[in-house]
Amino acid sequence: MWKAMIYKEWLKIRWFTLLYTLLGMLAVGYLFLKVQHDTTFNQANNYWNLILFKGLKFFSLLKFIPLAGGLLVAVAQYFPETVNKRIKLTFHLPFNENKVLLSMMVFGSCCLLVVYLILIALFSGIAAFYFPSNIILPALVSLIPWFLAGFSAYYLVALIVLEPVWKYRFLYLLVAATFIPLFFKNGPTAAYQPVNITLAVLTILLSISLLFSGYRFRKGEM
Amino acid sequence: MVKLSRYILVLIAITGLAIVLPKLYWMAFAQPVKSPFVQYSAVDNDFLILRNEEKTVFTNTKGETFTREEYEARLPFVYTRQLLMNRTLPDSINGVEMDPHQISKYRSIFRLKPEDIRAPQPSLFPLFESQSGRVNLEMPEDFFRITWRMEFIDAETNQINEEKSRMFSAVLYKRGFQFPATSISGIPTTLKSCDEGYLVIDSANQLFHIKMVEGKPFVRRVDLPEGLKFKTIQCTDNSDKLYYAYLFSEDKHLYMLTQYDYLLEHFPVDDIDPEKHEIRIYGDLLNFNVSVLGEGFVRSHIFDRDLNPVDEYSEIWPVQSQRKEGKIAAALFPVQLSMTNPNSGFINFYFQPSPAFYWLAVSLLLAIVQFILIRKRKQKLRSQLPDLLIICLTGIFGFLAVNFFPNKFFS
Repeated sequence: MWKAMIYKEWLKIRWFTLLYTLLGMLAVGYLFLKVQHDTTFNQANNYWNLILFKGLKFFSLLKFIPLAGGLLVAVAQYFPETVNKRIKLTFHLPFNENKVLLSMMVFGSCCLLVVYLILIALFSGIAAFYFPSNIILPALVSLIPWFLAGFSAYYLVALIVLEPVWKYRFLYLLVAATFIPLFFKNGPTAAYQPVNITLAVLTILLSISLLFSGYRFRKGEM
Repeated sequence: MVKLSRYILVLIAITGLAIVLPKLYWMAFAQPVKSPFVQYSAVDNDFLILRNEEKTVFTNTKGETFTREEYEARLPFVYTRQLLMNRTLPDSINGVEMDPHQISKYRSIFRLKPEDIRAPQPSLFPLFESQSGRVNLEMPEDFFRITWRMEFIDAETNQINEEKSRMFSAVLYKRGFQFPATSISGIPTTLKSCDEGYLVIDSANQLFHIKMVEGKPFVRRVDLPEGLKFKTIQCTDNSDKLYYAYLFSEDKHLYMLTQYDYLLEHFPVDDIDPEKHEIRIYGDLLNFNVSVLGEGFVRSHIFDRDLNPVDEYSEIWPVQSQRKEGKIAAALFPVQLSMTNPNSGFINFYFQPSPAFYWLAVSLLLAIVQFILIRKRKQKLRSQLPDLLIICLTGIFGFLAVNFFPNKFFS
């Protein structure tokens, strides 16, 4: 039965996930095509100088790509469940309702994690051709909050979509609007170094937030 | 588990609101704080203060006011060109001839903000050729790092230049350098008058001067007093060519490193902390002016060119939190949270707790409002007690957060 559950989740998000992975890989490819172009025209040593001392963020194209992934997967996975309140069928299965919701969330998170790891591996792999670790590692420190924002957006969208009352949906959206920008503050490369762990902990805590609106949904809150 | 998820959401909401609400408040009510600009007049042997109030006021420590022309005439090292144009530049001050070329040579300006040093630092630097025989400096093809050895990485190929790396590492090793470097300070730009390489601290806390002369390494160890550690070393490119750098020690002292003979000269002043305050050092033909600027205060220390103390001045003024709008904010918000800090380049959760306890009254009032709401909704008080506690501790943030996520559970 669990296998069937997971398969249902996969059916909902597979095309979105695959399409998003492809687009993400294309974005990483385009990013390094631009790096190749800029180093050809500006000379590599000048380009390194811009990165190291003039605040050039060669990776900034990726800023909102993880966020878009989180939003897309969350909408693809949870929105169909709210059409005609289909998720109620799932709640009628002989499983603990919270377990069902958590398994949906874990599956979605794992899919996102796999896609993000593919993108980060691709980024690091190609970057290693152009730059030494002294440039790649600070870039990765700056990328981490953007990927955490993707996970947070995924959890918050799940919360908002499953909430049955529009008034509260709006209030949750307000909370999301105050929380998500924390991952996108402007600063020098690697500026997020001291806070990445705290943001990761908050994101992990946020992962079970869909239980709250799921509970309200199944209790028929109007 | 569901209740736990609600409290997590309340925590997330409190975090977001504690950042956004104070930010909105200050966007609406913040007023600019105009700090005085303090300079030292070698003509009057007194400090001159420029105040940007309703209109600009030029004054001194005795309260005398001046016209703009009188003010500029008292600062011949700052307004040299203007005074030359007006033909009012004095012939001499304190017996020192006022030669415009000499004035220009000895003039230096240095500024350092906490956010410059409390920020991610690069670990890869360009080593310029310091005797290329060319007027302009050129960006080298490779960049160096000092880890277990000194490595040069070619930017074009992203490969290590083994020959050059071995040559520099061997010389460093022979001079007693203990790898890796813990700090590398220099001026990594071609837009400087000449190259003097880098001042590097090794893992044994020794100071080295490293540069490249005609493709070969130049390495010189600088003798330091026992136990002297530096917070930051800031290299200079002054036209007098007398000093390599300003050095700020852990024990809040300020030094200069002389060129060629590598002597540490100490400014007889303490409490110079570039991690907390902005430091400005103005040099001229006669004096050094070391100014420390913090939130709501300025301290200026004047030294002659031999670093003997001449005079000092300090002034304080009310900061944002001491004004009416600051006091209201302190009552409204138990804490003001921010991801950025004017004294740091790092992003973090910066807490600024309310300096007064009026916020407790506001929190209690909001808890009473919540209590009335609970009664009105005919909810059980026992299940709502944690919410009331959250409101008491976090005030308006908690009040909004617990109401955004309704505490409605069925038995």
